Amino acid sequence: MESLGDEPWDVVICGTGLQQSLLALALSRSKKRILHLDPNDFYGQHEAAFSLQEADSWVTTHTGSSGAESVAQTTTAAPAEGSAGPGGRVFRNANVWRHPEAEANGLTFSRAYSLALAPQIIHTRSKLLSQLVSSRAYRQVEFLAVGSFYVHEPARGDEPAKLSRIPSSREDVFSNTSIPAKSKRSLMKFLKFVIDYDSDDQRDVWQAHADTHLSDFLTTQFKLDDDLRKYILALTLTLDGKVTVANGLAVIHRHLTSMGLFGPGFCAVYPKWGGLSEVAQVACRAGAVGGGIYMLDTSAEVETADVHDKVSLKLSNGISVQAAALISSRDDVSHGETISRLVAVVKSPLKSLFEATVEGAPAPAVAVVAFPSSTIPASESASDPPVYAMVHSSETGECPNGQSAIYLTTHTSPSAKKNLEQALGSLLATAAEQETPICLYQLYYEQTVSEGTPLVETVGAVPKFSFPSPSPNLAFDDSSLDTVKQAWKQVMGDEAQDDEFMIFEDREGADANDEIYE
Amino acid sequence: MTSEDALPVLKVLIIGPSGAGKSALLLRYCEDHFDPETSTATIGIDFKTKKLSVRGQAYRLNVFDTAGQERFRTLSTSYYRGAHGVILVYDISSKSSFLSMEKWIEEARNNAQPEAVLYIVGSKLDKVVSGGRAVSTEEGKAFADAQGAGFCELSSKTRENVRRPFVEVVDRIVQKPQLLKPPNANNNTLSISNIGSDYSSACPC
Ligand SMILES: Nc1nc2c(ncn2[C@@H]2O[C@H](COP(=O)(O)OP(=O)(O)O)[C@@H](O)[C@H]2O)c(=O)[nH]1
Ligand SMILES: [Mg+2]
Repeated sequence: MESLGDEPWDVVICGTGLQQSLLALALSRSKKRILHLDPNDFYGQHEAAFSLQEADSWVTTHTGSSGAESVAQTTTAAPAEGSAGPGGRVFRNANVWRHPEAEANGLTFSRAYSLALAPQIIHTRSKLLSQLVSSRAYRQVEFLAVGSFYVHEPARGDEPAKLSRIPSSREDVFSNTSIPAKSKRSLMKFLKFVIDYDSDDQRDVWQAHADTHLSDFLTTQFKLDDDLRKYILALTLTLDGKVTVANGLAVIHRHLTSMGLFGPGFCAVYPKWGGLSEVAQVACRAGAVGGGIYMLDTSAEVETADVHDKVSLKLSNGISVQAAALISSRDDVSHGETISRLVAVVKSPLKSLFEATVEGAPAPAVAVVAFPSSTIPASESASDPPVYAMVHSSETGECPNGQSAIYLTTHTSPSAKKNLEQALGSLLATAAEQETPICLYQLYYEQTVSEGTPLVETVGAVPKFSFPSPSPNLAFDDSSLDTVKQAWKQVMGDEAQDDEFMIFEDREGADANDEIYE
Repeated sequence: MTSEDALPVLKVLIIGPSGAGKSALLLRYCEDHFDPETSTATIGIDFKTKKLSVRGQAYRLNVFDTAGQERFRTLSTSYYRGAHGVILVYDISSKSSFLSMEKWIEEARNNAQPEAVLYIVGSKLDKVVSGGRAVSTEEGKAFADAQGAGFCELSSKTRENVRRPFVEVVDRIVQKPQLLKPPNANNNTLSISNIGSDYSSACPC
């Protein structure tokens, strides 16, 4: 058997996060010799999905308020590649809670769970889906529908708190009984505008306001009342609640134009079994099928960079390898934008959230619930950022039948954890059919981000490309695909043919007419 | 109408230590091909598909290779998704490959669905004539029995017994209705393949 150190690698990829894994997929039909490592003993890096046991051990290395490796980072000339060792610095302040009688209440074996660290919904218009199709990787991924978006409305006078479904199509608006007729007309006018907001005609309406708050724009230009404004802002999924007109319109446009693209009643999909983690694993398998060598639990350090056109790497298992190019991820996470996440497993299927709302629509497996800042009871000031809950049914394979996995996210603040817990409580109280379901398990952590651009450097004479950390967005952001393509061009050099990126034939064994995974 | 595409599809994985003869078994069974030279045969093989009839019913069998990810034990959990059967291969001329079966069984049990059919194969049976056997048939059989798994010895080189594990695995699979239709299986999985070429022309309204 050939040994790893004998021949130089065309590229050594450190980390199996989504972007590195998609790069491996993009390179899988090239003749490049690829060594793909991850310092963790699991796939997916920042996009990983965990069993309960894996989550427990991940928590033990992420309890601190800054990555444990940060000291070593500043003093070592040659830091380990890929998220600063197993701990990494993107996640911190992690802790886990279990119901005192969790098992008796149905929390079952560790692997019955697959909890996603940073779940994102994927709009049907996303290039990620078209690339997974054109690269043939989609056959190994099962996609589920993301259904309704709700806004949580706190109790008003005699009216108890409730979840209001956000109407997001003409039919939806017409059939809605809680919106007054006048408001409906304003809303219809706005939805119509968004559909072609970027046309010459419509640009005049908003361009002068592009950098102002969407919320003000909705009031002044479209006379939307408080309730409708809440709906529209919730659809933007922005965590700071201060989305600009330009960004907000782009996101709502994506939402509306994604609706119905793959079938009635949904605008986004979610990969079964843990979201993007699954996509990363499938992409890595494609890399392996193409001849790439995979090693987990293995980090790499630059040994010497003065060898002619190669860099020598020392792997943590003691082996030295040569590489002509290096791919890694940015460790210089800024401490600017940080989000707080709470993952909860609850003992209820929360059926009412997963009803198909349009005839012929597939049963959704994900529902989105927005808690605008003013509706969070615990919120001390009106400026507390909103909380979003992504509710996943057991259809996602992330929890057993009869339970749900709820992913709550907000901007980090001193009251973030409390706000997340309050939102969870309100959600359970309003979504449950009868008595409020109990929570079996909770995982809390904070996630920081690096600058959003890749870092392109040279180590000796060798190019090194570091991917930015994943965006904290709740919906997949296509710009990360441009970064993957940029890295692909870097590795391919002159051989890069733009129109061949991610476009592959089926491998032998699955002929084009086989629809075997559908 | 019984068009070929309507055949029930079964997913079968082949796992086990590097060099045990997994890819050779896959190629011999699916393509009746054996190449004693290549150990790089794994490259480019995702899975092979083969029709197989058991008890009068035809099935389309998709047999997946490890793509070399067994070498450093980096098979992903996604590899095991939806597998109806797992064939674990060791080399009868290598004691250590047999001893690793315990770990592979554990990995299969941890990752495959609970009902998945496990089957153990001792490969390279042709090596017996040259005195190469390091694991007895009884040892192999006893281990498989203890695991509740099926068992046979075969040679991809001579074809001896090559069909047997596949037929027996399918036979066991089809006797488990809950495996063919798990209780929570439904049609909620979406088809996204239709976005191929006319992706951009799809009407948003
Ligand atoms: N004599 C003999 N050699 C075999 C047999 N099956 C595989 N081999 C050889 O064993 C080596 C490893 O086989 P391979 O299928 O690549 O193993 P894998 O790593 O498990 O996929 C190759 O050199 C094969 O030619 C067999 O039935 N008899
Ligand atoms: Mg092989």
